[in-house]
Amino acid sequence: MECPHVPVVNYGEFSKRFHDNVLLQRIPIDGSIEVTARCNLRCVHCYINLPLNDRAARERELTYKEFRNIIDEIVDEGCLWLLFTGGEPFIRPDFFDIYTYAKKKGLLITLFTNGTLITEHIANHLAEWRPFNLEITLYGSTQETYEKITGIRGSYNRCMKGIELLLERKIPLKLKSVIMTLNKHEIWDMKKYAEELEIGFRFDPVLNLRVDGNQRPAEFRISPDEVIALDLADDMRMKEWQDFCNNFRSPSQNPEYLYQCGAGKGTFHIDPYGKLSACMIAREPSFDLGKGSFRRGWKEFIPGVLLQKWSSETHCKACELISLCGQCPGFAQLEYGDQEIQIEYLCQIAHMRAEAFGLLNTAKKGE
Amino acid sequence: METNAYLERRFTKDPSMVFRKVAEEFILVPVRQKASEFESIYTMNDVASRIWELIDGKKNLKDIKEIIIREFEVSPEEAEKDLIDFSKQLEKIGAVRTV
Repeated sequence: MECPHVPVVNYGEFSKRFHDNVLLQRIPIDGSIEVTARCNLRCVHCYINLPLNDRAARERELTYKEFRNIIDEIVDEGCLWLLFTGGEPFIRPDFFDIYTYAKKKGLLITLFTNGTLITEHIANHLAEWRPFNLEITLYGSTQETYEKITGIRGSYNRCMKGIELLLERKIPLKLKSVIMTLNKHEIWDMKKYAEELEIGFRFDPVLNLRVDGNQRPAEFRISPDEVIALDLADDMRMKEWQDFCNNFRSPSQNPEYLYQCGAGKGTFHIDPYGKLSACMIAREPSFDLGKGSFRRGWKEFIPGVLLQKWSSETHCKACELISLCGQCPGFAQLEYGDQEIQIEYLCQIAHMRAEAFGLLNTAKKGE
Repeated sequence: METNAYLERRFTKDPSMVFRKVAEEFILVPVRQKASEFESIYTMNDVASRIWELIDGKKNLKDIKEIIIREFEVSPEEAEKDLIDFSKQLEKIGAVRTV
């Protein structure tokens, strides 16, 4: 998962104006909740998935009632956009209780799912209680590739069926993919498939490691050269990066701080066990919502996280490309168990990207 | 005459919409899909949000108009026009129903 610092405006002018106000007042406007880390698929690259029948994980997950209390609290603090993700949310029998409760509270909900568990009943409920946005991840354009990644026979056809059921009901659906060695040859066919369905498609070419410290996803990373080649081959990515580079501001205004992104300023993340963090990748340190209110976590704990400064002199701290780079404390923690260590893979991508988009004259590697 | 009849109407809020005030913005969020298609959220200014607050199934639009005139620097004609336009919009998106 790359955090590319490309400014994304999700909801037109209203969203932009709104976000500007929100940042000034530091309102937790945009949050994500993982309702489970368990999944019915066994994707080789996934940063979080646990087996469907992982009893210990299931027993630690918050209950519907606990999620309901958290939803009440985040709404009281001003949350408007909420992402439900997993794992696979639909493996929870009570997921629609959680989802519908959040809808009734006036949250604009995005839902990430693999689509393989969508039934007529689920599609009908989503048609009645429409998400603001629903995204399904495709792992390949062919059954062979898709199931090589997911490890589950029949999952490709179930995903296709899920997409069909949602489109029949005009659910606001988008497709996306995460690109790795196993499916890189099918990316343009996936894009074409989405175009034929007349729905949006995006992809992420950078895998991060697992949140439990397992490094297996690294086996499936494409090379930095291939990442840049994809930037240049995809019209939308090329335009986004070009716009970003055209407006590039360097260096950072506050280079002494570890957190150089928007995490924790208007965004937050809550894991299946009620741990609040600044973002989905930077999970530690976290605040236990079982022991204190969301308000306290947001007002007292997260600001402390954001005020962390570099404790060592690294290349990254002084690098003029830091705001172009995916380097962040969360990613480094997953990669090396240390928030400050330079991630060579991301460093190479940043410098190649800078060269590809005409920024290299402003920064030399490691300086 | 038609306007007078419209001003006699009383509206109640439809539960398929939720009103929220976030970051100084007044927002109407559709929560449940109805026959009419809508995929937007609706932002309101101060006057519109006050009208929304006043819609309670008991006051008619004439009552609401009088309150708006008292609370805002607005002429009766302007208040009436805004109120009728806004109420029709709310009806159109299914946010209110006639009692």
